[in-house]
Amino acid sequence: MGKQGKGIWRRLEDVPREVLYVILLIVFIIPMINPIGLPVPVSAAVKKWHDTIEALPVGSAIMIDFGYSGGGEPELGPLAVAVYHHIFRKGGLKPITMSTSLEGTLLWDKVIAEVKPEQYGRKYGVDYIHIGYISGTETAMAAVGKDLRATTNTDYKGNSLDQFPIMQGIKDASSFKLLICYTTGGDQSEGWVRQWYTPYKVPYLCAVIAMMVPTMLPYQKAGQIVSLLAGAQAGEMELLIKMPGRGIKSADVITLTHILVFAFIILGNIAYYGRKASERAGG
Amino acid sequence: MVDYFLRIPGTGPVVKDLQNWGIILSAYALGFGAVNLFYLHTRHISRRTPGQWPFSIWLLLMIAVFAIVGVGLTPASKEYGWLYNATYFALNATVYSSLGFYMTTGCYRALRARNAEAALLLVVGAIALLRNAPAIAVGVPVIVQAEAWLSAVPTTSAQRGIMIGAALGAIALGVRTMTGRETGFLGRLTEAERRR
Repeated sequence: MGKQGKGIWRRLEDVPREVLYVILLIVFIIPMINPIGLPVPVSAAVKKWHDTIEALPVGSAIMIDFGYSGGGEPELGPLAVAVYHHIFRKGGLKPITMSTSLEGTLLWDKVIAEVKPEQYGRKYGVDYIHIGYISGTETAMAAVGKDLRATTNTDYKGNSLDQFPIMQGIKDASSFKLLICYTTGGDQSEGWVRQWYTPYKVPYLCAVIAMMVPTMLPYQKAGQIVSLLAGAQAGEMELLIKMPGRGIKSADVITLTHILVFAFIILGNIAYYGRKASERAGG
Repeated sequence: MVDYFLRIPGTGPVVKDLQNWGIILSAYALGFGAVNLFYLHTRHISRRTPGQWPFSIWLLLMIAVFAIVGVGLTPASKEYGWLYNATYFALNATVYSSLGFYMTTGCYRALRARNAEAALLLVVGAIALLRNAPAIAVGVPVIVQAEAWLSAVPTTSAQRGIMIGAALGAIALGVRTMTGRETGFLGRLTEAERRR
């Protein structure tokens, strides 16, 4: 009995990783194909983000940094899409985008293609614009904050900024009423606090990948970030603005895979203690 | 630094120029990095480094394709966008997503309550895990409260300590660099290091 028990527990402890991968894949794929519609709460942070944009007066300029890479797109892309929907639907706001990530401009293109601003009657250069990738990360933030036109005088396609109505009156950080950053890098998420919040007090909304949240919490607790979100909360934003999209579809997957990992942890510990107990019983 | 901490009239144009120099230098560094990659990988190819040189050919080919399409048609072109989406973006997202599989097996094998410290880590990890599952946050509100406390108190406190420690270290390193005591980044040894 002892030997047999030891064998079972040992086998359970050493389940081949391929088995775990297949189970995870199944739990991942099923809700993607056939969404279950599990409940999604709207957290206070998401509500605060939404309300901050909602409270902006007409004509407010918003600086948006697409500072994430392709690896973070499945997490941050849906949130960026939902926030653009909110901004365009509200209307009267001037979202001016730049990229501190090399891939940011290409990822912005993907987001805009998904949002389709024309459905809200919004036009490039009039209601929104992208001023392109600016290298140097924190130096770029500082330079744009000090004098945007001295840093770049063209949009991402190389067209002069002077020809775009949205850029009229936009000079430096003081021209902006809000700053939004989507990023997969600490240089960007912390850099904006140092280069825009601290010197110019521009209210800052920050979205990062989930594992970066603990590093950004001190800034939020200190009031330097109005609202801090993990990209995985895109589903909550979509619910709030009543525009279900990629975020809400992945909410089921997030719930089920997290429960599965929790079950794996429990199972792993049962196997561990089972083996210990059988070893003791077997002498 | 002076411009950041002090408001001195007349420094604005100088600071703007310095910041723009910084931007130009960092853009130049990207090009310099590409040249360095070419240098490194052409050596691998010419020496037929085992297990490496075919990948070096592929890397140089892709750099050349991206560069030609980017310079010829601009990075804002549809062709460049297609190239990026079909290659780099897909690979980047795939590699990043595959971490989920490693984490899952890692949790199964490593997150064991072997002693009190490991048990504490397990409990905290489990709370954070369940909190991030949207449906659990709805059904078990106590998880949300527990995670909120963990985030607000122990996590933030520890993170602040790490940040303040790192900032003090950065200041010390900056002072050492500016006074010529830290030359490692130039590949040089200090007098004291040479004597050792």
